Amino acid sequence: MQRETRIANYVLGVLSTLALLLLSLPLSTPVRSLKAAMGYVLDPLSYHGEAGYARLAGAPERIRRLLEADIENERLHAELRRNEWLTTTVSSLSLENERLRRALALKIPGVRSPVWAHVLERDPVHWYRSVVVDAGSDRGISLNDPVLGPRNGKLVAAGRVVDVRPNTSTVLLLTDEGASVAAYLSLGTLEGLVQGQDGPNLRMNYLNAEVQLSTGDLVYTSPTSSTFPPDVLIGHVARVNPRDPFLAFQSVEVSPAADASSLQELIVLRSSAPAHAKLAASLETAP
Amino acid sequence: MRSVFRTTIIFVGAMCLQWWWNTHLAYWGAGPQFLLVLTVLVAARRGTVTAMLAGFVWGLYLDVARAELFGASALTLTLIAYGVGVVRRQVDLRAAGPLATMTFIITWAAFLCHGLIGLIFKKSFEWSGPVVIIATPFLNAGAIAVASLLWEIGGER
Repeated sequence: MQRETRIANYVLGVLSTLALLLLSLPLSTPVRSLKAAMGYVLDPLSYHGEAGYARLAGAPERIRRLLEADIENERLHAELRRNEWLTTTVSSLSLENERLRRALALKIPGVRSPVWAHVLERDPVHWYRSVVVDAGSDRGISLNDPVLGPRNGKLVAAGRVVDVRPNTSTVLLLTDEGASVAAYLSLGTLEGLVQGQDGPNLRMNYLNAEVQLSTGDLVYTSPTSSTFPPDVLIGHVARVNPRDPFLAFQSVEVSPAADASSLQELIVLRSSAPAHAKLAASLETAP
Repeated sequence: MRSVFRTTIIFVGAMCLQWWWNTHLAYWGAGPQFLLVLTVLVAARRGTVTAMLAGFVWGLYLDVARAELFGASALTLTLIAYGVGVVRRQVDLRAAGPLATMTFIITWAAFLCHGLIGLIFKKSFEWSGPVVIIATPFLNAGAIAVASLLWEIGGER
């Protein structure tokens, strides 16, 4: 015990002297060097500690997102299984349709392959005119390809491709003043021409002047449309314009199903296969 | 080897804990002073010399973050370790009750020591504020009770 006490006294003396020296000479070079050295050694503790804490603090959120992703993955798997059956049914119907068209000597429409594209930019001055998407000729996009947009799980008409670059394309929206598409009204199958007005709504012209029109009627692309596949939803009748006694037709205001102001992703129906697919096909067929 | 590893873990872990609590959980500046608490605990369990050495380095760690009075915490923790070593000969500090009481008193002694060091070397008494002065002894007493329990569970001497 005596020895331990003596050692403790010595250590106390040494450490106290050292501490008093540090306190007495705060601006001297050795003290400042020691402080700098201590900071150099101990600063990583708080630096890496904070980084580790930030990582751990974000862990519950990441785990929650992981669990949500897992649940969504399960749901999508189930949906995919259901869709496999749907795809089989559709392809079977498509084959039957083609066989019947051949039997009736009708023109067989060209096969289109869809490709998803993200909206890259839009002209803020002309909001309803066009958007640029991140798919170009590299993905088989060609001029006048129809473009659809998702709306409540369904695909609706959005516009057509008017400019194709290697990696991007410009899509002229239906709401643009220069855009038009042949369409029909679901009730009565009245044919007309839907035209953009550089605003949120469209205008459907050339409707039979004698027919009684009503709001809420759905507007679909016509089989006579040269750009769009038939029966794609365009929108619904928002207002019936008063009849003009000097015109032989009447018109309606159409509220588009694809909201031009909130388009994020679009689907382009390619009329041609992508270049690399063509190349692969040519290689496969080569002797 | 295992003992050295454990000691290193406790030594570095205490500094990490003190930093983390001060940064994220301290309110109005009040929070347990884990380094002071562990200095007292080490002095009570492992002896004065070990506690003084650990307390001195822990004190320097606290002082590095301060703009002035570099060495004040080192001196305070060294003196606390020595003081506990002296008391340890008279009082059984292995029990949680005396240890908590001792820590409670020592916390105020530490504030006083800091104040006096400031008065001597900076010509102004280092006042930590009423909330800190009142709350910290209770927090330290609670912390040492928990630390003592963990020390026992961990099988430390």
